[in-house]
Amino acid sequence: MSAIQRLELVGAAVRFGRLTVLDDVSIALSAGECVGIAGPNGCGKSTLIRVLLGLVRPDAAMLRIDGVPRQVDNALKAQLGYLPEMVAFADSLSGLQVLRFIARARAVERRRTDAVLERIGLADAARRAVRGYSRGMRQRLGLGVAILAEPTLLILDEPTGGLDQQGLAVLRDVLDEWKRCGRMALVATHDLALMEPRLDRICLLQDGRVLADETPSQLRQRAALPVRVSFALQDDLASADKAAFATAISSWGRSLQLEQRNGNIDVVVPADQLLGLVDVQRPYQTRLRSMRVHEPGMDQVYDELVRGKARASEPRAEVD
Amino acid sequence: MGRVARALIINEAIERLRDRWVIVVSVLFALLAVAVSLYGRRGDAAAAAQLTGASLVTLASLLIPLVAMVLGHDAIVGERERNTLGLLLSLPVSRLEVTLAKFVGRLIALAAAVGAGVGLAIAVAESAQRSTLAALIVPSLLLGAAFLSVGVLISSLARRQISAASAVVALWFLLAIFYDIGLLGLMVASDGAVGGKTIAALVVGNPVGLFRLQMLSALGGAQGLRDAGLLVPQAASSTAFVMWTAWILLPLIGSAFLLARRGDRG
Repeated sequence: MSAIQRLELVGAAVRFGRLTVLDDVSIALSAGECVGIAGPNGCGKSTLIRVLLGLVRPDAAMLRIDGVPRQVDNALKAQLGYLPEMVAFADSLSGLQVLRFIARARAVERRRTDAVLERIGLADAARRAVRGYSRGMRQRLGLGVAILAEPTLLILDEPTGGLDQQGLAVLRDVLDEWKRCGRMALVATHDLALMEPRLDRICLLQDGRVLADETPSQLRQRAALPVRVSFALQDDLASADKAAFATAISSWGRSLQLEQRNGNIDVVVPADQLLGLVDVQRPYQTRLRSMRVHEPGMDQVYDELVRGKARASEPRAEVD
Repeated sequence: MGRVARALIINEAIERLRDRWVIVVSVLFALLAVAVSLYGRRGDAAAAAQLTGASLVTLASLLIPLVAMVLGHDAIVGERERNTLGLLLSLPVSRLEVTLAKFVGRLIALAAAVGAGVGLAIAVAESAQRSTLAALIVPSLLLGAAFLSVGVLISSLARRQISAASAVVALWFLLAIFYDIGLLGLMVASDGAVGGKTIAALVVGNPVGLFRLQMLSALGGAQGLRDAGLLVPQAASSTAFVMWTAWILLPLIGSAFLLARRGDRG
């Protein structure tokens, strides 16, 4: 079977009784892409994933694989790998037995099972019952189950839950491999700050609708959050020189906020004024030890977009 | 059955056998069976065989329904609570196959437990009792399969594993213990208005009653009771076949239907 180049879900709608969980949601993935799905609790992230997995039959939706309409049938399911949210596994089985079951079910070689155990860092704990596993170990086992058959489409629901630094490194490494090998990954996550470097696009969902589906930098631009810049001054600088620098910035007039504390000056500026600030500091360069730009984290961008949308949909809520 | 279903059968059997419950119960069953047959060794052989048979039937008719339902009670709801049901259903396998594989895998574990128990009892028994004990195996498995199927249905219905467990215990009391007393009460209360045929049909309608009756006939005790003037309902082998088939298949069909409708969420 040739690898999938493009997968599109178009116009997905899911209603549970009167509740509309998804309303005209479309999402697309191309080979080598890793796409994030984010949104507040109950926004429809998990339902969207479950439509793709064939767990929920949508009231309306068209799935196209390489442009051809397709159902989520067994042949397609054979190319999916899934990590459910907060996965736990049967207590009495060992990690090895859990993986062996999936290996048998998906016709995976023994060697691959051993390699995956090694990779997720559970080789030593493989023969212990899952009962004794920590939350993070279970999560790593779940990741191992998802990647075992090297599926074309990897679907991860809150993969960072409970992972320690080592587990996170494995997760990043897996996503990198999937992109490098021209496969696809779809990641529903709250941890945007953590996952951002791996995401080619982020689909923001709110109340079952797509709020935005863009690259992280496009989302940043759209949120237009101010940037904080920290200047560290030379230690032996006279206080008059410090004051002169601070005055220069405040007389520039475009900073939103200016703070001085223990020899540092923190300036908050609109993102589009960053270059202007660079010009302002140039005459004082010899008095500066360093200049650091703190971009707002993707979690803040997300907050701004989701809350900004909420504000926009409530007219007259804010008078100023 | 597809590759996934076959893998699931193996996995279920391994999981249940690794679970201490099955081991504890099969050891308990074995110990009781051994005790009964050792006790039977003391008197004259023919009477001992009768006694052993009757005791083992009573023991099995109480223990097997409970063991089988407990074995089945977490089949679906357990996966749901561990968030692995979605994972299972996202594999290339149909929901009917998942239900059947869960049943078959657990039936293997149950058969291993019953087989170990009865087998041990046979090993220590007098040769005269061996045929009695061997006659227990197939009806015991039928009884186990019926209640396992009911257990799987309960696990498809329940929203929480703990409520499935409570339902299992309640149903066990109802069918294995109170049912016959209830029938007796019905006869007394209705002052014979509910006829013997109806009562007989009600006895056969409960798999526990059907099991006891079949064993009674197999062990040759029915005639003795009839001679004593007691009502002994007859279960034609065709009736028995229909009843066993219905008790094993109908709950499974119900479970498969529920799983197909509800999917991974309750």
